[in-house]
Amino acid sequence: MIEVLWHGRGGQGAFTAARLLGAAASMADGRHALAFPSFGPERRGAPMRAFTKMDDVPIGDRSAVAQADYVVYLDDTLLGDGWECELKPGGLVLANSTRTFDDPRIVALDADGISTAVLGRPIPNTVFLGALAALCDRVELADVEEAVRQYMPAKLHAKNIEIVQAAREAVSRRDEGGSARRPERVEQAEGSPVASAENTATAPQRPASRIPTLRSGALDPAEFAHSTCFEGGYLTVKNAGWRNIRPVIDAAVCTGCLQCYLYCPDGAVYKTSRSDAVNEGSCGASDCSESFPKRASAREESLELQDGVPHEAAASGRSAVRQNGGIEIDYDFCKGCGVCAKACRFGAITMIPESEADAR
Amino acid sequence: MVVNVKNMIDDELFFGHKACAGCGGSLALRAALKVLGPNAVAALPAGCMSAVGFNFPQLAFANNAMITPFAATASVLTGIEAGLRAQGKKPDDCTVVGFAGDGGTADIGLQALSGAIDRNDDVLYICYDNEAYMNTGIQKSSLTPFGAKTTTTPAGSNVHGCLTQKKNLFEIVAAHGIPYAATASVGYLNDFIRKVERARDVHGTRYIHVIAPCPTGWGCGVDETVDIAKDIVDTGLWYLAEYEGERVSGQPGGRFRLNRDPKQFASVPAYLRRQGRFRAFSDDEVAAVEQGRDAKWEVMRREWRG
Repeated sequence: MIEVLWHGRGGQGAFTAARLLGAAASMADGRHALAFPSFGPERRGAPMRAFTKMDDVPIGDRSAVAQADYVVYLDDTLLGDGWECELKPGGLVLANSTRTFDDPRIVALDADGISTAVLGRPIPNTVFLGALAALCDRVELADVEEAVRQYMPAKLHAKNIEIVQAAREAVSRRDEGGSARRPERVEQAEGSPVASAENTATAPQRPASRIPTLRSGALDPAEFAHSTCFEGGYLTVKNAGWRNIRPVIDAAVCTGCLQCYLYCPDGAVYKTSRSDAVNEGSCGASDCSESFPKRASAREESLELQDGVPHEAAASGRSAVRQNGGIEIDYDFCKGCGVCAKACRFGAITMIPESEADAR
Repeated sequence: MVVNVKNMIDDELFFGHKACAGCGGSLALRAALKVLGPNAVAALPAGCMSAVGFNFPQLAFANNAMITPFAATASVLTGIEAGLRAQGKKPDDCTVVGFAGDGGTADIGLQALSGAIDRNDDVLYICYDNEAYMNTGIQKSSLTPFGAKTTTTPAGSNVHGCLTQKKNLFEIVAAHGIPYAATASVGYLNDFIRKVERARDVHGTRYIHVIAPCPTGWGCGVDETVDIAKDIVDTGLWYLAEYEGERVSGQPGGRFRLNRDPKQFASVPAYLRRQGRFRAFSDDEVAAVEQGRDAKWEVMRREWRG
């Protein structure tokens, strides 16, 4: 049985691709396939998985795929430590990425680029159908095209078939170059070449306040709720994996007006102890809740403070939260929506791709 | 004390939740709980905010919160309030607050809400209105505006989305003679925060209707939530108003007040065209929407001002 594990985000079409692949693989007589999704919180942007199983006999095992022949990442920010644990010996990872990977088991494909060229926007799912048609004996290009025609709305046929063909071309070219040949045997990975922000980000040093906190370790079933009551503020996973762009604050421009803090839907922007200093500096002792600090004066004030106060962020590196005009961003829980960047009247927040942030 | 961004508590009482990036509903909850504080007791019916707040074993609320049957938000609030009172807790110390979506308020939970207002139970009911059943995948509710595409009101060549007008829930609630009711938008968060604070300090049933855009269901960018929530007010398609009942206002029949009266409306076509759900709208229909708005504002300006 050939098993494919799809990693995507809600809205990227991973389940559609899993289903189309199953349809293509079961097009010929005597071939069987099974496709099903596993949604987490069922939210756009949330990581989700989908599975395709393909065999010559009816498939009875309807459980999720733990180890697959092909693991597809529709978003390379989901490709984190431990990816090799999901691969069967001799298996391949297909990633939607413009990065290059040292490990021969990872085939990077610019699926966003291929789909943007045809559709005008990045919808990477059908790209990997073309890629699998090139790599997997069980998947024929003609069957994939037929599956697209049978299972997608008519107006999407031509463009998606174009994408599938372009993707097959791209992978076949790579294959001839030998860069994506299926390795005969699996060697032990020498340190993972990739690491997601989710795993490397340090714990936020948020000031003490009442906030749902991250608990480490598995919850002991003995501590499960014995009644209808359950302890509030209990979190077990971060939301950083939802994000593919991140807000970065330019400390020199930030005036400490706190609009980003006010409008963050996730509460991921937080005040530091310095926020009071900056606010008092720009607003004076009086309560200036509604009025904005005047742009010029506020900036002068904040610059003065920047010079006067030791800059702590420089030493702590990429993963640490930055020191800015009184605010910091909790990258463990920021989903990268960009509301803060829009809310900032001073253009102090820019959204940069996670890959760029990783590189810094 | 007027709560504002500078003096509001640093506590994040709704945090780590699984709402979509740029969710307007979660912003409304976060802001409201920051005003009401950690002792508030929240009740949520089926809907986005309960789906994203309670993922066992995770619980994204730092204060007490529970899920209610879909139709029973206001009834459960009544029960919580009675329970707290029986335990000797003072209502001023722990606001009993419900957060329900537009479907859970205007369709499914309407009779329970009406009953609570009728009994004048000491509870605060906040409706975060994202204009459709978003949690189940975008189905029309009675607060879906005319022309919006949902999965149950698809846009085709003959029909361009939702055929009905948005139910006027604020005035339905006000018609009960409720002590305090208000409309708000997450685009004008200071206004919303002020109203939550006002509602916290009023005794009896209070109702706040806050517009909370849903990028997934509205077909706009995830970073546009706040912008679009401002836009809907600036275009006059939503309004910021308050109603105070007879006892609170001291005026027979109560008093409406318009909080924001734009001299000039922002462009309605621009507001509609930036959202995928209105893509099929014809120019005639846009003009009809503008006419409806003008008629509504004519009445509001005449009767709610001053």
